[in-house]
Amino acid sequence: MTMKNLKHYICIVAGLTLLSSCKPNIDTPKPSKGSADFSRYIAVGNSLTAGYADGGLYLAGQQNSYPSIIAKQMQAVGGGAFTQPLFSADQANGSGYLTLAGFNADGTPITAPVTSNLAVRGQIAIPGFGNVTLYTKYTGEINNYGVPGIKLEQITYAPYGNLNGYYERLLPNPSPTNNTAYIDFVTAKPFTFFSNWLGNNDALSYATSGGAGDVLTDKALFGQLYAYAIGRLTATGAKGVVATVPDVTAVPYFNTVTTTAILAGVQKANPSVQAIFINALVSGNTYAPRAATAKDLMVLTFPTSKIGQPVSTPYGPLPYGLTPYTPIDNQYVLDEKEVALTEDYISSYNITIKAVAASKGLAVFDAYTFLNNIKKNGLVVDGVGINSGYISGGLFSLDGIHLTPRGYAIVANGFIQAINAKYGSSIPLVNVSDYNGVKFP
Amino acid sequence: MRKILLLVLALVPVLASAQGFQVNLEGEKQIGMGHTGVGLVQDGASAFFNPGAMVQLSDNYVQAGISPLMFKSAFNLAGTADVYHTADKVAPPFTFYAALGPKNSWWKVGMAVYTPFGGLTDWGDTWPGKYSSESLNLKAFFFQPTVSIKLADFVSIGGGFVYNHATVDLTQAIPLVNSSGQVGQAELKGKGKGFGWNAGIYFKTKSGITIGIAHRSQVSTNLDNGNAIFQVPASLQAAFPQPNTFNSTITLPATNSIGFGFYPCKEWTLALDVNLVGWNVYKALAFDYKINTPQLQDTYSPRNYQDAVTFRGGAQYKANGKLAIRFGGGYASAAAPDGYVTPEVPDAKRYYLTGGLGYKIADHLDLDVAFEFEHLFSRTQTNYATQLSGTFVSDVYIPGLSLAYHW
Repeated sequence: MTMKNLKHYICIVAGLTLLSSCKPNIDTPKPSKGSADFSRYIAVGNSLTAGYADGGLYLAGQQNSYPSIIAKQMQAVGGGAFTQPLFSADQANGSGYLTLAGFNADGTPITAPVTSNLAVRGQIAIPGFGNVTLYTKYTGEINNYGVPGIKLEQITYAPYGNLNGYYERLLPNPSPTNNTAYIDFVTAKPFTFFSNWLGNNDALSYATSGGAGDVLTDKALFGQLYAYAIGRLTATGAKGVVATVPDVTAVPYFNTVTTTAILAGVQKANPSVQAIFINALVSGNTYAPRAATAKDLMVLTFPTSKIGQPVSTPYGPLPYGLTPYTPIDNQYVLDEKEVALTEDYISSYNITIKAVAASKGLAVFDAYTFLNNIKKNGLVVDGVGINSGYISGGLFSLDGIHLTPRGYAIVANGFIQAINAKYGSSIPLVNVSDYNGVKFP
Repeated sequence: MRKILLLVLALVPVLASAQGFQVNLEGEKQIGMGHTGVGLVQDGASAFFNPGAMVQLSDNYVQAGISPLMFKSAFNLAGTADVYHTADKVAPPFTFYAALGPKNSWWKVGMAVYTPFGGLTDWGDTWPGKYSSESLNLKAFFFQPTVSIKLADFVSIGGGFVYNHATVDLTQAIPLVNSSGQVGQAELKGKGKGFGWNAGIYFKTKSGITIGIAHRSQVSTNLDNGNAIFQVPASLQAAFPQPNTFNSTITLPATNSIGFGFYPCKEWTLALDVNLVGWNVYKALAFDYKINTPQLQDTYSPRNYQDAVTFRGGAQYKANGKLAIRFGGGYASAAAPDGYVTPEVPDAKRYYLTGGLGYKIADHLDLDVAFEFEHLFSRTQTNYATQLSGTFVSDVYIPGLSLAYHW
């Protein structure tokens, strides 16, 4: 009886063990490369392409760049090795970057710069240009040609490799002896597929300097150079995907410090204050002070502590930002007219980008529409709510312009969907929930 | 032999658990016949299936059973070839029934303990739906004292009072990451109770067909002062105060059933049941936190379930005085509408096949075993709230065993 029971028991356990090894069957789509060839994919672009985040280029950001995410997914459909010009582990913090150190009592964030283990090798003064920070040289294979700061306007300028430390580090020679235009550099080695997300800085550099420190690239020149760049990239038959220029006003860099918030802060201390004043564009290069409205965008880096500090004027010391004689400096404000000007240029650039892409049969990821939709409606991905808010939104990193790993993963999926739609491929999407937003202490 | 029986009974409360939001495992004889039993008189499980039939039992019954249940779900994230599986976990829904009264009397009283609702899904903390659900462990234990009365030889009625003791443990990830890359975790853990009733009527027609009609009421179950545990980066912990508690109410749906028994010859019993489950009471899963902050608001997740119907059929063949062979199957419609399917309950329309054996091991002792295979059809969904998009497929394997002592 006991033996028999034991046998039964063994039988039952064996049966249960067998059952627990069964798994439900699920049919998954077969990956296909469609009409494209992903065997050597190169990424052309600026800081967004390089994986820049939190105000710097550093190893962890590079490893989360959207081209590296796309390339990993491409491996399922015949994609080849994808090598990035990574910083070494010893110099993992690259240019340095910002971390979130905590919050003030009023909930505003405290950021702290990372200054150890940098890849900075020195600085060089270029006559007529200024100082250029130089980084440890990278030698070896490159698939990700993202160069922070580069404008479309600069891709044919041969000495550019002496003026941009991020480009200089990829080139064989030290600044100021370089003489390789960016477009020549990226097309030097054969490739079968490319992504091109150039053009942001042609508008962004103007905007982030409050319309004071840079100029918008001429629309006709942009059109000419874009067509030239795509001509070069498609010259050997490569297929590719391009992205439009995001609306720079959709990023938290311009939407976090607001006129209303500054005014409310001032009125707490001094209820009689009616307005804050800015130096606003009238037309051409003429600026005049006026009261700021909600349509004037303050930059994220505006030191709000300046507000109300005494400034000496012909009428005696007056509080900064609170009188027409002491307006907030131009560099801190993208005023309403500057916003309109920037948007007009971006819209023109994007018409160009779409037209050139159409003429060459390229896929287009419309980053402009995509990011504006998120700004307007937010987005929910795999149970994670995302919006354009600074830090809490999860999409933008601490610099308010570049993306978090989660943001780059979402953008990578945008590119992949555009590629799949155009070329009939089925590059698998990336699992966004594996990627995080801003890191909190 | 009686010793073994007592051993089984003693083990049962320890193993108590449940699975699949509604669990239809309330008696091994009935499972073997495709979960039919509303229109039949089989054993003490009548207290669950149709209390009106209980008095028709010729014997008194004390019985207990267990049905270890393996719910296996797979998920394919939309646009990818990635497939994720739930962890192998075994939930053993159990039953205990006693039906007692004088021989051939007009009444019987009984006690039923069973687990009609529950869920045990564990997707882990790395799958794409982790911000929707990592794991659910929901158990509802129903305790039901029951009375059954014979009005005439051909008709009897019965009813019971239901006390529900429920436990729930729900975990999900919070999309806030700390400096070492760990994401936040939420866990809601609590106990609750609710009350309900069931009633039924049973007829023997002249033609020999038996008919049962039964109702099990909805059971609104209140979870009070459960623990709301949030692990988030230190700089945000103040926004998720600890300790904190939550209240919630889960309404378990009512079931209306009609069942028929046919007896074409001495050896054969055929049964047909139809159930209508009032799932439309499950409108939302809401949690009310005791301490709210701007970041921690009460949650209200619409579920908008629809009433669901189940068709069941089964047969029993008495091979001889000792052995009964049973088989059956059924089809159930889905309760979760499109857009509201959630990973903790990957609901879909389903079919199931069952088989069973009954063996009289001694004069007063029946051993019943059953096996069920259930397949939830592949369902491709984008959840409205979470936008989690992909395909769920689930299979359920349920062996089971019961002992019934009757005299």
